[in-house]
Amino acid sequence: MSVNITTLDERTRVTSEADSALDTEEYFVNMGPQHPATHGVLRMVLKLDGETIKEVIPVLGYIHRSIEKICEHSTYRQIVHLTDRMDYLSSIMNNWAVSLTVEKAANIELTERIEYIRTIVAELERIHSHQVAWGVMGMDLGAFTPFLYGFRDRELVTDILEETIGARLTMNYIQPGGVMFDIHPNFVKKVKEYIAYFRPKLDEYEDLMSGNPIIQQRLRDVGTMDGETALSYGATGPVLRASRVPYDLRKIEPYGVYGKADFNVAIGTAGDCWDRYYVRIEEMRQSIRIIEQLIDNIPEGKFMVKKPAVKIKVPEGRYYGHVETARGVLGVFIVSQGKDIPYRMYFRTPNFHNLWCTTAIAPGGRIGDLVAITASLDLVIPDIDR
Amino acid sequence: MGLVKKEEYAFDTMPGVDVVLTKIDYVVNWARSNSLWPLTFGTSCCAIEMLMATGGPRHDLARFGAEVTRPSPRQADLLILAGTIVKRMAPRLRTLYDQMAEPRYVIATGACTISGGPFLYHSYSTIRGADEIIPVDVYVPGCPPRPESLLHGLLTLQKLIKEGQTIRKPGVRHKPVISEIPEGVSREDITAEMVELLEHDSVVNIEETLGNLERPTGI
Amino acid sequence: MTTEELFQVITELEPSAKQSEKTSDRPTVEVPPEALVALMQKLRDDPRLSFNMLLAHTAVDWLEERLFEMVYQLYSPQNQQYLAVLVYVPRNNPVVPTISSIWRIAEFQEREVYDLLGVLYDEHPDLRRLFLEDDWTGFPLRKSYQDDFILERPK
Repeated sequence: MSVNITTLDERTRVTSEADSALDTEEYFVNMGPQHPATHGVLRMVLKLDGETIKEVIPVLGYIHRSIEKICEHSTYRQIVHLTDRMDYLSSIMNNWAVSLTVEKAANIELTERIEYIRTIVAELERIHSHQVAWGVMGMDLGAFTPFLYGFRDRELVTDILEETIGARLTMNYIQPGGVMFDIHPNFVKKVKEYIAYFRPKLDEYEDLMSGNPIIQQRLRDVGTMDGETALSYGATGPVLRASRVPYDLRKIEPYGVYGKADFNVAIGTAGDCWDRYYVRIEEMRQSIRIIEQLIDNIPEGKFMVKKPAVKIKVPEGRYYGHVETARGVLGVFIVSQGKDIPYRMYFRTPNFHNLWCTTAIAPGGRIGDLVAITASLDLVIPDIDR
Repeated sequence: MGLVKKEEYAFDTMPGVDVVLTKIDYVVNWARSNSLWPLTFGTSCCAIEMLMATGGPRHDLARFGAEVTRPSPRQADLLILAGTIVKRMAPRLRTLYDQMAEPRYVIATGACTISGGPFLYHSYSTIRGADEIIPVDVYVPGCPPRPESLLHGLLTLQKLIKEGQTIRKPGVRHKPVISEIPEGVSREDITAEMVELLEHDSVVNIEETLGNLERPTGI
Repeated sequence: MTTEELFQVITELEPSAKQSEKTSDRPTVEVPPEALVALMQKLRDDPRLSFNMLLAHTAVDWLEERLFEMVYQLYSPQNQQYLAVLVYVPRNNPVVPTISSIWRIAEFQEREVYDLLGVLYDEHPDLRRLFLEDDWTGFPLRKSYQDDFILERPK
């Protein structure tokens, strides 16, 4: 038996001496936690040989807010608002993951209307999340215009969501037992207008970035990852699908009303940064298709079957539920003792699992490639650290 | 001469000649307030709203002369704190602040940087307010605040700079402490009193209010 | 594959693995720590099962029972089958063999569990703190964790 506990200092000690007359030496460089290309406070210690990356050591915890500890003292409705602040770009889908698990455990029946509203707002949010990912990727690779284009169109989605929900980012909308508010009377009209507006804009996105030779060179054949590696590293979402694994929970075990919508799962062929980029573009198209099919058919009914004042008790046991967020599978694991607060709550977050792919695909490349890789993984750091 | 009218407090005009009198401090502060260079420091959710959406096309921070975001603290003089500060990040934040060139200003945005926000209770790692680490000039509440709130915060800071009143020493503002409820008072009493006050404030006696209004003259 | 067939195959592969009596919404097996690595290897490699996704790994601190419950959530895309594997270790000597040689992600999930709950992993290639500083004392997600820094919510 050998349990050996190490520290970061030990991991980052220079081991190799200068070899021969060329005097090349391995050295460590810090990237982050305050670095514009890591989208937050991710720190990566890079072991370099010249400009070639030998090893990537991600160092986490710069935004570890102890959400799981707080959950052990909060009711299920209070937990929902904490999930907003994990992956804030897919906050509605995070709310959904908790609600879905609690509803399944506590046997709460939902109306058709709730399921329709949930699916439509989640797809709208997926679009805005991918718009941010697209824009920020452009910015990371040195083009500022995509950022402006992406945020121009995102503002319109947040307008639609704000009219119904009242928030722009941390929605706290989907609750165990329904949604917080009924949709605004203008909702259907505005969503249709938005789809009519955004479809040509998506072609504009392609004109602007996809065909650009610099973007092509920065992304093609960079950070290639095969399906087996992706599965072994627990990657999900666009990252896994770009590596040719058609794993999408919306298709495999449809929740909400995804089963009623006709859509395709976008997959890549090579598993490089380009595929991860293009899978997201295609997912925006598919999200538009899903919304188009559902928006006219929202049935009448209640939007909330459990009043917010009711404390929901989950029967004793272990429950695991998950949804497909914009970045992958968010799993919620609840250990309940029959009270209105969980005994233990664990979030299997997509970004935590996607992050470690960098340790597999970045070595051998250059530092510039690492920027493309982290941009293509579309990491949201508070979701890693929780 | 539009400027002289706008920043009236800073200038004296001399009658008869085209000369204005001012202090060099006023001019310097005026220049500083209109060319703030923010540091890109976003830790969590607020970063999307504060740095990205506000810098984006609709809200356009450039209108207020603060769009030159710098990733290096040595080139920045405004620190917009966007997102929770945790124990592990705290020393790094202090380092970043110390590395910024004087004069430096801080805007704390969002509930987390003001008080710890939703992560106040039962958290073993969240710092309860950024002003435990660095002095803060302007607080912008919200979770996250709307981009308009940050613009308002920025204008407030510009006003403070022009008037020369920014917080430069730590410990100037004392945080409210979390106190226990005194004996004999229950939470219900407090709630009832608040409801009463709210109702009292929201019911307006129109007759009385009209009677107190100054009548417009000259009609 | 039905749940009964699944358990049948698993007991055939690893006799010490038993169907768990704990209430759970997924098929659950319990296995002693010694047999964990062998079972996991078989679960992944056996063509009838091919559980090649380790969705989640975490631990639960049962203070009264003086146990740590290690939870592994597996998924097989081929059969669209879920399986939860539970391992119980005593709270005063929490040592579990690592499965990072089978799934690469396990290395990091295990580091998280070590960091927050203080479970030790045998033969782990790089066991160190993940979210907290290296010099942090205590394991915050343990139910017995005490810290003067923590504020209780007023009642």
